This record gives sequence, C-alpha cells and structure tokens, in this order.
Amino acid sequence: MTSNFHDQVVTILPRLRVQALALTRNRTMAEDLVQDAVCNALAAQESFIPGTNFSAWMHRILRNRFISDLRKRRETTDIEDVPAAALATSASHEDRLALKDLAEALDRLPEDQREALIMVVIHGMSYEALAEATSCAVGTAKSRVFRARRQLEAWMTGDVPAGAALQARVARVKGILAERGVAGARVAGQGATELRP
Amino acid sequence: MTPPKDSRSSRLSKNNKKNRQDDPFELWLKRGLHQLFDEVAREPVPEELLRLIEDDRKIRK
Repeated sequence: MTSNFHDQVVTILPRLRVQALALTRNRTMAEDLVQDAVCNALAAQESFIPGTNFSAWMHRILRNRFISDLRKRRETTDIEDVPAAALATSASHEDRLALKDLAEALDRLPEDQREALIMVVIHGMSYEALAEATSCAVGTAKSRVFRARRQLEAWMTGDVPAGAALQARVARVKGILAERGVAGARVAGQGATELRP
Repeated sequence: MTPPKDSRSSRLSKNNKKNRQDDPFELWLKRGLHQLFDEVAREPVPEELLRLIEDDRKIRK
C-alpha cells in the first residue's frame, strides 16, 4: 500500500500544480503550496483508506492547506506571473491579447469559482468528483462552474458597463469569436467538458 | 395536441446541449484555459519534491 500511495502522489503532482495555480494565481506560491500539501499528505498517509478516491483526498488536502495559509496571510495576486509561459506561444497578436485578458479576468473571479472552472475544464473532472474534492454538494460545484463561466462571458463580451479598456477587450474577443465562428470552434471543442449545468 | 411534458423537456434539453456545444464563447474559453494551464501541468516536477516523496517511501518500507 505504501509504495502504491507514493506512486499516486507522484502521478497527481501535475494536477495539484494546476489546482494550486488556480487558487493562488502565483507560480512561486503555487509551488510552495504543492510542496506543503505533499508534506501534509505524507504525514497523514495512514488516514487514507486504500480503494477510496485518492484524487479527491489529495485535492482536499491542498485546498485545506491553501485555506489555512490564507488565514495566516492575506491573499496576494501576481497576475503578470501566471500567463507568461502561455503568452509566449506562436499565437497571433490578437490571440495573445485576448489570452492576457482572459488571465486577468480569471484573477477577478472568486477563488472557489476559478478553482472549480479550471478543475472541470483542465482536468476534465466531473461535477461529482469536483464536489468530493472541494467538500461541497454537487449542486454547489455545478453552480460555481456555471457562475464562473457566466461571469467571464459578461466581462469578456461586454454584458457589463464598459470603460475604454474593457471596450477594447470586448472588441478583441468579439472579433476573434466572429472570425472563428462555430466551425472553427467545433474543432477546438473536441473532447471538451460541458461547462453549464 | 400538446406533446407529453417529458418528451418536450427531453427535446429542449437536447437542443440546449447542442446550442451549448456550438457556443463560440464556451469553446473559446475552454481553448483559452487550456492554453493558460496545459503548459503548467506539463512542466517537470522539481527534483526536491520528488526526493521528498522518495525519501518518505524509503522510510516507510
């Protein structure tokens, strides 16, 4: 069991890193959070019941550690830190700007909604698994994902009063959406998870 | 004649699902999130963290 436990910890590390980044929005803090969560998990491994959902157990430990840390120090964000790697891609100028807008909009979401959206989209996690990993009801998990998506859409497509900067952002995203249309979007969405309840 | 409620909701549900799958914003959002986070997930695990796990594995053997 011990060996299997450690293998599972190693296997889940990339997913923990994504969850940690979704929560902290800061690379350094995310790395620290993963390390702290792994230390907690190793110390508490006797409390894990083999055959139960290891992924949910591990995500809960990381989340609890994040909440515990948050109580000790007020949340800080470093939006320049997060999308740097993603923005250094071969995407077009407009795409990169839209991606940066998306990263900034993500920063403005409540952390539970951001975490839920990212775990469903990036990890392909079901609402049931998300609920178990974040210690909430399935309906709450669905609602968090739905509200995150709806809020991002409002910010990114201008369903809220807009200043000049937001108007420029809206124009960019609308331009990209219009260019791609449904046909292009279908390709991008293959295998994607449904975001609405 | 009004169709039974169940069959109507089932049809509406299928239409909604199709509409959602075709929603350009939803698909753009998913692609954007993958661009932002997939790279992070693919980064190599820090050696220090792997060593921590392996040291614990040895101790517990």
